[in-house]
Amino acid sequence: MTRKQKRLSVIAGALAFLGAATALTFYALGQKASYFYMPGDLQAATLESGQRIRLGGLVENGSIIRGQGTEVAFGVTDSQETVKVRYTGLLPDLFREGQGVITEGTFGPDGVFVADSVLAKHDENYMPKEVADSLKEKGVWQETKQ
Amino acid sequence: MVEIGHFALILALVLSVVQSIVPMVGARTGDARLMAVGGPVAVTALALIALSFTALTMAYVLSDFSVVNVWENSHSLKPMLFKITGTWGNHEGSMLLWILILSFFSAMVALFGGNLPATLRANVLAVQGWIATAFLLFIVITSNPFTRLIPAPIEGRDLNPILQDIGLAVHPPLLYLGYVGFSVCFSFAVAALIEGRIDAAWARWVRPWTLAAWVFLTGGIAMGSYWAYYELGWGGFWFWDPVENASFMPWLAGTALLHSAIVMEKRSALKIWTLLLAILTFSLSLLGTFLVRSGVLTSVHAFASDPSRGVFILAILTFFIGGSLTLFALRASSLTAGGLFHPISREGSLVLNNLFLTTATATVLIGTLYPLVVEAVSAEKISVGEPFFNLTFGPVMLPLLAIVPFGPLLAWKRGDVFAVAQRLMFAFGGALLVVLATLLFIDGASVFAALGAGLGTWLVLGALTDLALKSGIGSVTSAVALRRFIGLPRSVFGTALAHLGLGLTLIGIVGVVAFQSEEILVMKPGQTVEIAGKSLRFEGLQPTRGPNYTEDQGRFWLLGADGKPVAQIVSAKRFYPARQFPTTEAGIKTMWLSQLYISLGDSTPEGAVVVRLWWKPLVLLIWLGPLFMMAGGFVSLMDRRLRVGAPARRKSAGPVKVGVAS
Amino acid sequence: MLFWVIAASLTLVASLAVLLPLARRAEEDVDKSHDLEVYRDQLAELDKDAARGVIAAPDAEHARAEIARRIIKLGSDDQPKPRSGSMLAASVIGGIAVLAVPLVSWGVYTVAGSPDIPDQPLSARLAENPADSSVNDLIARAEAHLVANPSDGRGWDVLAPVYMRIGRVSDAVTAYGNAIKLEGATAARQAGLGEAIAATAGGIVTADAREAFDAAIQLEPANPKAHYFLGLAMAQEGKMVEAAAIWRQMLVGLPADSPWRAVAEQAAAQAGGKPVQRDAVAGAPGPSNDDIEAAASMSSGDREAMIENMVAGLDEKLRQNPADPEGWLRLVRSYSVLGKNDQAQDALDRGFAALGRDSDGGRKLSELAGTLGLKATE
Repeated sequence: MTRKQKRLSVIAGALAFLGAATALTFYALGQKASYFYMPGDLQAATLESGQRIRLGGLVENGSIIRGQGTEVAFGVTDSQETVKVRYTGLLPDLFREGQGVITEGTFGPDGVFVADSVLAKHDENYMPKEVADSLKEKGVWQETKQ
Repeated sequence: MVEIGHFALILALVLSVVQSIVPMVGARTGDARLMAVGGPVAVTALALIALSFTALTMAYVLSDFSVVNVWENSHSLKPMLFKITGTWGNHEGSMLLWILILSFFSAMVALFGGNLPATLRANVLAVQGWIATAFLLFIVITSNPFTRLIPAPIEGRDLNPILQDIGLAVHPPLLYLGYVGFSVCFSFAVAALIEGRIDAAWARWVRPWTLAAWVFLTGGIAMGSYWAYYELGWGGFWFWDPVENASFMPWLAGTALLHSAIVMEKRSALKIWTLLLAILTFSLSLLGTFLVRSGVLTSVHAFASDPSRGVFILAILTFFIGGSLTLFALRASSLTAGGLFHPISREGSLVLNNLFLTTATATVLIGTLYPLVVEAVSAEKISVGEPFFNLTFGPVMLPLLAIVPFGPLLAWKRGDVFAVAQRLMFAFGGALLVVLATLLFIDGASVFAALGAGLGTWLVLGALTDLALKSGIGSVTSAVALRRFIGLPRSVFGTALAHLGLGLTLIGIVGVVAFQSEEILVMKPGQTVEIAGKSLRFEGLQPTRGPNYTEDQGRFWLLGADGKPVAQIVSAKRFYPARQFPTTEAGIKTMWLSQLYISLGDSTPEGAVVVRLWWKPLVLLIWLGPLFMMAGGFVSLMDRRLRVGAPARRKSAGPVKVGVAS
Repeated sequence: MLFWVIAASLTLVASLAVLLPLARRAEEDVDKSHDLEVYRDQLAELDKDAARGVIAAPDAEHARAEIARRIIKLGSDDQPKPRSGSMLAASVIGGIAVLAVPLVSWGVYTVAGSPDIPDQPLSARLAENPADSSVNDLIARAEAHLVANPSDGRGWDVLAPVYMRIGRVSDAVTAYGNAIKLEGATAARQAGLGEAIAATAGGIVTADAREAFDAAIQLEPANPKAHYFLGLAMAQEGKMVEAAAIWRQMLVGLPADSPWRAVAEQAAAQAGGKPVQRDAVAGAPGPSNDDIEAAASMSSGDREAMIENMVAGLDEKLRQNPADPEGWLRLVRSYSVLGKNDQAQDALDRGFAALGRDSDGGRKLSELAGTLGLKATE
């Protein structure tokens, strides 16, 4: 190989690598990004069965039911629609009725959302940002400055 | 004292403006007196900002609630340590720390840059001055920590309890030392662009600065990861959270910069690329600051966010990143490019390293920003989490890790891959052994986990092989080998230590991800549970009180083989009344490199409690690795050839000088 | 004074930092051979390494050649020569810089700073005479004391009514609760707790509040506050007759000079006279003792104004925060009670809009509309 050919092959290799990385990135974005919904958005959304989503909202008052052991069921609401959520595990410190949460998981065949993670994030106003934004749009909640 | 601090801050702002203009005008016009202004001004600004920072710290220590910032983030009953660390546990204070570190680095350039060419030094100081001016303006206008509150309340609102931790004392300062350390590289790069030439001194300066910043950033990230691990009670060590990514991107880019700077120094090649990397690395640090401070991204981190601050930081970001990249586009072509080189060589392998690292940085950047873009374009909200990064970051990094041991063994200019491969046979054999052993002896080990463990071993043994070969162990007598070993340049040790640390971290990650066991159950007092072959007995819940919190302590006994208690583990649910804030204090028992991790959930009225248990094998390696990396960076930094950034200015003209300079 | 001295000295130091380098004599011109020195230094290092045997001889030779190449290249590089600028321009810029330091910093500080406010470390403030402190200071002091000694029941007992008076009603609930837990239940504490709970619920005597009032009556059968609020509870449920009965019965047991007499008389008269009970409305935002006393001693015009004020406040609150079914119920009822049926209808419609007709709150609103004779349909 001449010097020029060598250099070209090196450049071609680098470009191929970058191309592969780019393709992989976009494939992954399509497959692995999970969409965020409020209960009220779900009717308009088309979900494939088993698709992972994030469901956010407020924990519905009086909806927390503790089952066997570490099972817990509760409602996530945007005060218009409510979705039942089932979760097994430790609830976060800030999980309370009326507080904002984000749950991540999939819908089961019975229409109950089976969450494998529940976040009640440590926001300044104890309200996850996505939830706060959506609730603000709906006029349900507003920031309180102390 | 408070008002003195406020005044000193404003005075520092004015001095920074002077520092950003006067030396640069001096460099343009060739006026030595104007250029000389930069140094003393930078040092004075450091003194003023330090005074300002001390004033704020004193206000915290003395619980002066007439300062809004203190009132919002402190409490008179808080332990003294957390009063002090609370100074930077909030937005305003942390920005003040940021600027303190920035001015510290500027002053270092001013004090130790005496052997730099005068114009370069003046321009570097001026660029540092721009950054300082921008951030001081930001502080004074949008985030002034010295705003007063009259009449002063008697009690403060307390620091967010999850930040009341020793981790907070160390994590942000280290992280900032890293972030801001890259500002020096950035300033050197921009100064070089302004001057239109890349000095030989640039190459010698940029590497120690990168190294220092990189060491701190490594420590900061590792510390933050460990803090999240034990303080959040989730048992995870990395969440691909935007704020974590914000610090990880500069680290990846900084690692690339570290390696390309070697090529620039040793082979005078890759100059323009290194310069671009220096700009990109600091830009990513600024981006990180923006992402954390503006609140545009959701995060587990608890800093306050405020849109007006976001806009201000966005303006700073646009100015510095846009400005420097434009300057680069305009001036890069006028710079003398470095030489070309053979692809199979040490420098070739370093280029490969850069290719992988920058690509990895790009995947993290895309994953972090993509939700923002989608939300802006379509109003849909998405989140990009671990699955995305596993699919993109992983495949990019794994091949890089596989080739790491080759790099240091390849010769400069023209290397021989096969010869190197032969010399690495021992390391390869060891790695293979680990893969097989994992598959054979550990139940339920997947092929993937075994390969991961093998890859980690490969890195560790590869690093050791490098040291062994360079000191000639095996080929010369042990006395000679020992002498050679001691005489090895420190940068060789640095490389080996850092690569070894990388391997350790990888082994730790594989250990936790593939082999941890987890148990969630409701435990009644007296109940015993088995996890990973260990028995654990729950004694019961015990309410206790701390200085500014109450807690329910869950007490557990680890039982020995004979059923006798061996060690007590205490895990707690804490409640901080001042903020009405509960936290989980994980109970952690370290056994060799592994840990038993207990976190408590809700309790039932009968005294039973939801318990989450993990057995995390080799988990400590995850953070031991970065310690090795830091040690490697530190040893490299101590290398005599790096410690001297450039030769001392000699008044007596040497023979070479006479020949060319006159 | 000390502040100004220190500020002035700092300014002086800062100005000197700019001035001194400018005042110095210009150094010899810029050294253009700097790169050369770097390379020469590298050569020297290389020799040292070679002498120590750290670097192999062929490698050292390579490196030496490399550095030599760079030195040769250096000679051919065109180094941009700094233009020598005019001394005048430099002096002007330097002068501006020196002047800017004191002027700008003092200017900005005058706007942003508060030079008159001294430091106020907590220890010094706590050492002050309590008599000089404001109410807020006193409360804060009591709070600090209670954070340190949370089991001081008497402290909670003292603080609870104070909280109530300054409107920190949920703190009052906590304080009464703690006082009862630590010092035991008394009728006054139980009635206070009930009042505080009712106040947190926006004036509605909730089941919890009723429980507390019942407990108070158990302890002191003639407790006027408890009786008054229990009557109010009845009235809020629309049971006017029972409410009036409670208030009338309460009047029987009250001493002639009791401040409760006027309040109860008024309430009973209204509840018994017509199906409207204004004090139930006045109670909405949780009347404290003071409010009740004030209302009792007011002329009826003033009282009307006070009541309307409260209702307007509630209306405003709901405009900002519409997700409050209880609030809507109260608002609709209040307007209706005040005889403002148009506004009641308007509030009802807004309530439906905010809560949705099919929600729990919406259904309750519909029910209420039925009893008040308002239109519940579109």
